[in-house]
Amino acid sequence: MKAAYTGPLERVNEYCWRIPRSYKQGMRVDGLIYVSDALVEQVRQDQAPEQVANVATLPGIQVASLAMPDIHWGYGFTIGGVCATDPQEGGVISPGGVGYDINCGVRLVRSNLFENDVRPHLDTLVDALFRRVPSGIGRSGKYHFDARELRRLMLEGVPYLQGRGLASEADIAHTEAEGRLEGAEPERVSERALQRGADQCGTLGAGNHFLEVQVIDEIFDANAAAVMGLEEGMVCVMIHSGSRGLGYQVCDDALKKLRGVPEKYGIELPDRQLACAPVLSPEGADYLGAMRSAANYAWCNRQLLMHLARETFAEVFGRPWEALQMSLVYDVAHNIAKFEDHRINGGHKKVWVHRKGATRAFPPGHPETPSLYKKIGQPVLIPGDMGRASWVLVGQPGSMEQTFGTTCHGAGRVMSRHQAVREAKGRRIDEELAERGVVARARSWRGLAEEQPDAYKDVNLVVDVVDRAGLSKKVARMRPVGVIKG
Amino acid sequence: MFETFAHTADLGLRVRAPELTAVFEDAAQGFLAVLIDNPEEVAAVEEREIAIQGVAGKVDDLLFDWLNELLYLFETDRMLFCDFDITVDEAGLKATARGERFDPSRHHAAHEIKAITYHGLKVAQEEGGDWLAEVIVDI
Repeated sequence: MKAAYTGPLERVNEYCWRIPRSYKQGMRVDGLIYVSDALVEQVRQDQAPEQVANVATLPGIQVASLAMPDIHWGYGFTIGGVCATDPQEGGVISPGGVGYDINCGVRLVRSNLFENDVRPHLDTLVDALFRRVPSGIGRSGKYHFDARELRRLMLEGVPYLQGRGLASEADIAHTEAEGRLEGAEPERVSERALQRGADQCGTLGAGNHFLEVQVIDEIFDANAAAVMGLEEGMVCVMIHSGSRGLGYQVCDDALKKLRGVPEKYGIELPDRQLACAPVLSPEGADYLGAMRSAANYAWCNRQLLMHLARETFAEVFGRPWEALQMSLVYDVAHNIAKFEDHRINGGHKKVWVHRKGATRAFPPGHPETPSLYKKIGQPVLIPGDMGRASWVLVGQPGSMEQTFGTTCHGAGRVMSRHQAVREAKGRRIDEELAERGVVARARSWRGLAEEQPDAYKDVNLVVDVVDRAGLSKKVARMRPVGVIKG
Repeated sequence: MFETFAHTADLGLRVRAPELTAVFEDAAQGFLAVLIDNPEEVAAVEEREIAIQGVAGKVDDLLFDWLNELLYLFETDRMLFCDFDITVDEAGLKATARGERFDPSRHHAAHEIKAITYHGLKVAQEEGGDWLAEVIVDI
């Protein structure tokens, strides 16, 4: 699995490489990987391209098995993978195409504070955030939902929290799918998943999840930035988390239920982790009902995390968060499957778009883009590593033409966790970050070591590709000044 | 005995043991060492009985289900286990597991385990008679 990919990779243009359908028996479409010369050698280093080819064998797949420039090896499906299937052509739904962390995603909150306002209080602010925002393993949140409340939360999504004074109308309008996927069936979520999720809504988790205080470093599209209320030097909060133990359990349950199911429908799979079922089957419906529930839970999780961050800012700066104008810029999912309308071979089709480590990037004028952003396109949020940068982009027409309305989702790891820990031996990553002007707090030394900036690809190179390929356009780049990790 | 190995963004657990019950015990010790950095600090003060139904010939699924059960007990009850009496037969696995609840002031958190995965899941007897098991956990 560590072996390099030795199969074909043909250049299509400056930013796209093809794995031809002829490469492997069973491939129904080509594989297309969006990557630049600067990144293509890294992509060959592991079996991720082989996974792109494997996904091309799935029944009902449309156009091509796609991968974004932050592609790296994942379970069954590559991270950075996009796959659209048509239910009318026997198309399948696959939990592996969504990932364990269902609706893992990112949100960005702006403020009317600037770096000069925050610098003198940065240690106090980061300490307060670290105290109030639960992170790491084995920690409960401030909010506890019993089984009945959890079911409502999963059915109704963020609007459920609005009823409890924990979300506003504007928050909902600026969340992908307005914080609620239709068709959630919480009764399909197992008792185990409910138990794992009972006290984790409003917790960050660990691994690559984070809450960051960021400063806008550079504006690339003045008009789009102005529409989003972003200015150079402004302080923002970025939150990266997902559906916590509840979502992991939904995925795990689905993989267990799908043991033997592909065989039942005569689907031959090159990898067990691609387990799937036809969308139009009882097994497919079961996963979709549960997956949508977990997705709604994840939006509520990020909403509650944002609420905690707003409360903390209010406490530290002595003014209500409304006075600090801490409005939600946008919230995107990057591990999800959505039923969407796309133009395929000259006609329109409704297809299931799996995005695993990939972000929706609808262009200006798209009906699902909120009214405020109709003219500029849907905001796309790309988290980088904790030392370098994160990005705000907007969706472009090229995404609809090429990638089922999709762009990249982040930097992607280049170093294994072991290697990162070895490299960090005898070092204090938090002190190194402090020298770069970043105050970092984490529950474990190991967590910081494994997530150190050098463990990741340079997010700027990833963003360059999607910008130049016309999938999404650069709006603003942020640098971290405060980091909370598990 | 167990060791962890690097696997792109995640971690693998490799166990070698002379008999099958020891594979399950060592895998559980390995699981604990992935969760926290100081597994030697976990005391055997609480006891739980765990039973997992097996399918004949599917010992890899049994290992998967066993580690998944330990993950579930950690996630819902904060239980960390350090001491085990295990029997494995065709019917499945029965275990008495002893340990204590996670206490962040004493137990140094290392990783959040999202899931046990099927990728590269392997339990097999080698030529010399030893058992070798490998499992990858999603971090």
